Amino acid sequence: MPTTVQLFITCILDTLYPETGEAIVRVLERAGARVSYPPNQTCCGQPAFNAGLRAHARKMAIQTICAFEPYKGPVVVPSGSCAAMIRHSYTELFADDHKWLERALKLAQRTYEFSEFLVDILGVTDLGARFDGRMTYHSSCHLLRDLGVDRQPRTLLAGIHHAEFVELPNSTDCCGFGGFFSIEHPEISSAMMDRKIENIERSGASVVVSCDAGCITNINGGLHRKHKNQRAMHIADILDNV
Amino acid sequence: MGNAFHSRIRSALADANLQLALDANAEKRIKVRQTAFESLSNPEQLRARAHNMREDVIEHLDVYLETFIARARKNGVIVHRAADAYQAINIVMEIASQKEAKLIAKSKTMVSEEIRLNPALEEHGFQVVETDLGEYIVQLRGEAPSHIITPAVHLRRQDVGKLFEEKLGLPYTEDISVMTNAARSTLRQVFLDADIGISGVNFGVAETGTLCVVTNEGNGRMVTTIPRTHIALMGIERMVPTMDDLALMLSLLPRSATGQKLSVYTSLLTSPRRMDDPDGPQERHIILIDNGRFEVRRSELSEILYCIRCGACLNACPVFREIGGHAYVGRNGMGSTYPGPVGSVISPALFGQCEFGHLARASSLCGACKEACPVEIDLPKLLLRVRAGIGVQAPRALAKPNTPKLLKLGVGIFTLAATSPKRFAVTQWLAGLFGSAATLFSKGDPWIRLPAFSGWGYSKDFPLPASKPFHDRYNTQANPIADEEHKLPVHGDTSTKSSPKKYDEDLLAKFSDELEALGGKFYSCSTNEVWHKILEILQVHDVKEILSWDVGTLPDRLLENLTEAGIQVVFPTSENIRTISHIRAGITGAFGAIAESGSIVILGGAGQPLTASLLPEIHIALLQEKDVFWQLSQVLNMGEIEQVAAAVLISGPSRTADIEMTLTIGVHGPGELHIICLKDG
Repeated sequence: MPTTVQLFITCILDTLYPETGEAIVRVLERAGARVSYPPNQTCCGQPAFNAGLRAHARKMAIQTICAFEPYKGPVVVPSGSCAAMIRHSYTELFADDHKWLERALKLAQRTYEFSEFLVDILGVTDLGARFDGRMTYHSSCHLLRDLGVDRQPRTLLAGIHHAEFVELPNSTDCCGFGGFFSIEHPEISSAMMDRKIENIERSGASVVVSCDAGCITNINGGLHRKHKNQRAMHIADILDNV
Repeated sequence: MGNAFHSRIRSALADANLQLALDANAEKRIKVRQTAFESLSNPEQLRARAHNMREDVIEHLDVYLETFIARARKNGVIVHRAADAYQAINIVMEIASQKEAKLIAKSKTMVSEEIRLNPALEEHGFQVVETDLGEYIVQLRGEAPSHIITPAVHLRRQDVGKLFEEKLGLPYTEDISVMTNAARSTLRQVFLDADIGISGVNFGVAETGTLCVVTNEGNGRMVTTIPRTHIALMGIERMVPTMDDLALMLSLLPRSATGQKLSVYTSLLTSPRRMDDPDGPQERHIILIDNGRFEVRRSELSEILYCIRCGACLNACPVFREIGGHAYVGRNGMGSTYPGPVGSVISPALFGQCEFGHLARASSLCGACKEACPVEIDLPKLLLRVRAGIGVQAPRALAKPNTPKLLKLGVGIFTLAATSPKRFAVTQWLAGLFGSAATLFSKGDPWIRLPAFSGWGYSKDFPLPASKPFHDRYNTQANPIADEEHKLPVHGDTSTKSSPKKYDEDLLAKFSDELEALGGKFYSCSTNEVWHKILEILQVHDVKEILSWDVGTLPDRLLENLTEAGIQVVFPTSENIRTISHIRAGITGAFGAIAESGSIVILGGAGQPLTASLLPEIHIALLQEKDVFWQLSQVLNMGEIEQVAAAVLISGPSRTADIEMTLTIGVHGPGELHIICLKDG
């Protein structure tokens, strides 16, 4: 019997990249999962948490906990930073609120990032996807350092047919997004983004794959402004290409 | 946000010279740190142990301090406690006045920067000279250090060349070794003339009362050995319980700071000069400085006190790499003594959220700092606490976030929308309408160029919201039924690290390999031959006069043979030091050696002047084969180290990389280290 996953689409994908959301559903189904989409989900609260506004973050975290509580099974989040928010930061957020802490921990225990879930839980490595060209991979910070997820997306990319994979120089350097950091400190953020774009160019890849829509929005925003031809893509969009 | 901070950021980003210097720093330091950590067989385990140890120290700080103070007093060290900067300065000033001091030589101490000691001393007529090359450079420029470890990291060789031309009268040069030599000869006189030496302390060992000071150039040894009075300044959090714990920290600190297995000089100072000692300070003072630390310990930022000031988080931080240490300023433009990620927590914790809290907002929370931290401080977590206003001044319940007003308003509106699926849907519908309309205007380009003041529009475009969000497109029902009892594996990194190869050559080979990698020279011979070996080395350098340990501490007839061969042997003491500082070679014994880092251990004490291994350009040390050990902890745990007033671990010739991180051998200490291993014991 297929595993039913509860999909947390995240506010950025929901609002800005619904097609990527659809690709995620198709990829999960192709990997043998049944996809369920709990209706009351909005945002995990990370933007408020990182802004320092914990009272606001708690409200959104509670909204998220309540949205998923009625639905059993693994929660799959196609974003490293949102998954890290639920898995790690909810503990910090509810440190002095036992009732919610317990409920937050229950959600945290069954939350997985998308590529992590595909590889570690479903055991998928080759989804029959193809990509004609040269691609590279940007390690999103929270995915890599908070969740320790790196091998999984790389495994999935290695399974893509026809693709030529090249390593991105300094692939683990932050792209400069950091949520509101990029708005509060545009000069620093921009300098960091410039380095990322330089490295993408140096890699010779036409596509840079990431598991986080935040990084993708940042990198693509910079590439578009600079009239560059390279594009950042969510890993689901690459895996959906059969 | 502090406007001063913002303008510093802008000028740092526009300074091409600074950008080159910072790039070079990041690239070099990250690489050498990685390489150094690869030589450890279990780095993650060591970091976890170090974290737990530091946690225990901070939790029981009062107990460890009490033990340390009692031991240090018993050892003859004069212990002072300073609650704040004002008291600490006064204590130094009192000692200096009492000694009628004129000249004070300082080695690097960040806590003295924190309490702004130099300006206070200078105001009272004392001449203070910084002796770490990088620190000397920034002092000549009238600046504060821009990095915890490499104070002049913001400068390039041309800047230093011009500075030395202007201040020291050195003809302009871009040759770093010429500049280093100029500093060496100027500062040598300072060491000899100084009435007081002031140093920092890397670790205080509670069980023995020992002070551990690490330096590479040798200036730390000079200021703690030559002047009649030594004052050590230490933040109270720098305790470690035992010598074993010290060994653990020493396996992490130099690796994290400079990519070395051990710093060139690790001084272990237990007491002032004793009755039979030929050299060392008559008085050793330690000033334990609180300056807000006990308050921080009680707050939710206490983890920042685990910090051992290695600077690894600065080197790893992409923000530091863009703006450098001098950009980290308070609301009123006052520099944050500690820059980078660690400083963005320490400064708000010690000196107020109001003045420094905004620094914590200048982080993308990428976590590179946490990853680099040798004691695993969760810096992103602490930065987020500072942003939320949690800290010394406010416990969680009363915390007031330091979020800018406009952002707060925006997040407030977003929260209102996101706490109701209906309101969220309406918001997305409005965004979608806007997106569709804008797409019409932009002729199908799904990107919008926001104005620069929006922050986002400064350097990038924004994708227009989709006309129909995901939840409207995807209308299947949620599935509340679990297919089966989900037994999910615990998530986490399942990758396993391969353990590095064990070094299976013998002890002596390992020691000589490591020593030679550091630039030292290794010889092996019998005791009968040793005088001849030494003579060879001296002849190569045309040396006719040597400093030496006492005859009783060296192999029989060694000094006699050398004297007969025309070498003049001088025994250095604190009393004759001014007349013998020019002698180019020194001969000493060695208490032991550490193979894993290529270090030798030298003890002070009767007949064993420490200056013989410090003042000359060439240091020749005689080591017994049986005294070579694998690990640092084996040597530190031998009781002899705490029995002497001062001991030092020497790992290669003295060196600096303070100008453009270019390695220069031979600063204040010897530029050549020859170790002769005696086979027959």
